[in-house]
Amino acid sequence: MNHSRRRVAVTGLGIASAIGLDEASVWRRLLAGEGGIAPLTQLDTSDFLVGIGGEADSAGVRERLKELKRRPSDRALDLAVVAADDALREAGLIDGDPPYEAQEVGVVLGTGVGSAQSHFDGFSAFFDRGVRGLRPTTIPRCMYNAISSGLSIQYRLTGPNYMVVSACTSATNAIGVAFRSIRDGYADVVLTGGSDGFFDPFFYGVWNNLGVLSSIEDPAQAIRPFDADRQGTILGEGAGMLVLEAHDRATARGAQIRGEIVGYGETSDAAHRTQPSPDGQALAMEQALADAALAPSELGLISAHGTATQANDSCESESIRRVLGGAAAQVPVIASKSYFGHTLGASGALETIVALLALEAGTAPPNLNLDRPDPECGDLCLVRDEPRSLTSPFAMKNSFGFGGGNGVLVLRAATSS
Amino acid sequence: MSEPTVLQRLRDILEASAEEDRDWSQVDRTTTIESLGVDSLSILDLLYDIEQEFGISLSGSDVVSIQTVGEIEALLVERGAH
Repeated sequence: MNHSRRRVAVTGLGIASAIGLDEASVWRRLLAGEGGIAPLTQLDTSDFLVGIGGEADSAGVRERLKELKRRPSDRALDLAVVAADDALREAGLIDGDPPYEAQEVGVVLGTGVGSAQSHFDGFSAFFDRGVRGLRPTTIPRCMYNAISSGLSIQYRLTGPNYMVVSACTSATNAIGVAFRSIRDGYADVVLTGGSDGFFDPFFYGVWNNLGVLSSIEDPAQAIRPFDADRQGTILGEGAGMLVLEAHDRATARGAQIRGEIVGYGETSDAAHRTQPSPDGQALAMEQALADAALAPSELGLISAHGTATQANDSCESESIRRVLGGAAAQVPVIASKSYFGHTLGASGALETIVALLALEAGTAPPNLNLDRPDPECGDLCLVRDEPRSLTSPFAMKNSFGFGGGNGVLVLRAATSS
Repeated sequence: MSEPTVLQRLRDILEASAEEDRDWSQVDRTTTIESLGVDSLSILDLLYDIEQEFGISLSGSDVVSIQTVGEIEALLVERGAH
């Protein structure tokens, strides 16, 4: 086992979201400024305060599962399978002669909610028929690690297999754990990322009543990160998957490298269950930049947490300002939740993938609905309604969660060196 | 329209509880349970669903030797299902 710090490459990407079930579709819609928020179809929202969100195309998901000889099971697992299949296939870990023994491939994923659909089905059966209504497999369907174990079984991946659960920081924490395990020599290849699918009447209902969802009725206008007229967030479902791999091994086998993870920081606010704190956020950013041995001014892109709630966007702006100082006015900031909605525990994965695609293209996609930047956020270099060229190969991805967790990744475009 | 047969009802249960996708019209009495991708865990759901559908109680010893769809059908008919 090699415990010296190793470079960590990204060799496969997969995404299942409201703006597409494959990377090419997602990138096309990002560049075109086509968001994915629409009236929800998976549940009757007539009693709900907010009836819009970012839903993945259900017919498309079923079709992809059918190609894999799978039937729909739990939505979070279904979305994870669609994204993971693309990521593993791109990395060359499925077809032909696999470059790794199965026991070398781990699965470390994040989720905020886990198997929400299975929980709802279980609750419904219980309240309908009591304990006799509970099917024997309720436990293995509902456990949080049903998602990682489902992928492990589907693809016979016998390395480490577990979930990280830290609300909206989950996938970023999972990617950070996977990054460290490869960098420090404990693993050579890990399937990582996150998945959340939760548009059932119970889970979506409790989010409705939390009071953080946007009251703007027009789906195209509803989620407005960093805008002065933002009214709250909008939820979205989705999965993002990345194959991380030791750079030397990826290079030796001729794998296409899509980018690198070069730094990670994580902290906890230890202050309030839902109110964010600039202290914890800024410290996580500083840790991640130090881990990458990068000065803030060297960043070329910030992929913000950017939920479009009043509290988040003001606090995150303050945190960025503290860490970047004068450079905060120069580093472009994107908020991809304006396209996907807030995909909760999966958001760190979806948005890390967007940041990697942006670095690869040298172009940041536009932010939606940023018509009038909030004066509290407006001194940042917020990307507006046109794509913007990038001038540095480094990006920082922020994720913050209820419970006070902060996770920050530093990414780098692929290089020939 | 006639009432669904025991075999049709059984096929519907198998289809509803399976995780693998397949052509269910091809499932007949000779189809083995193993070939349907039913493992030692998912068979618990299958037995549970059969008990609920047909209103009967099955024990482990009832089903330990069963290998095909037709053998489940025969057991259900023996217990009075129709």
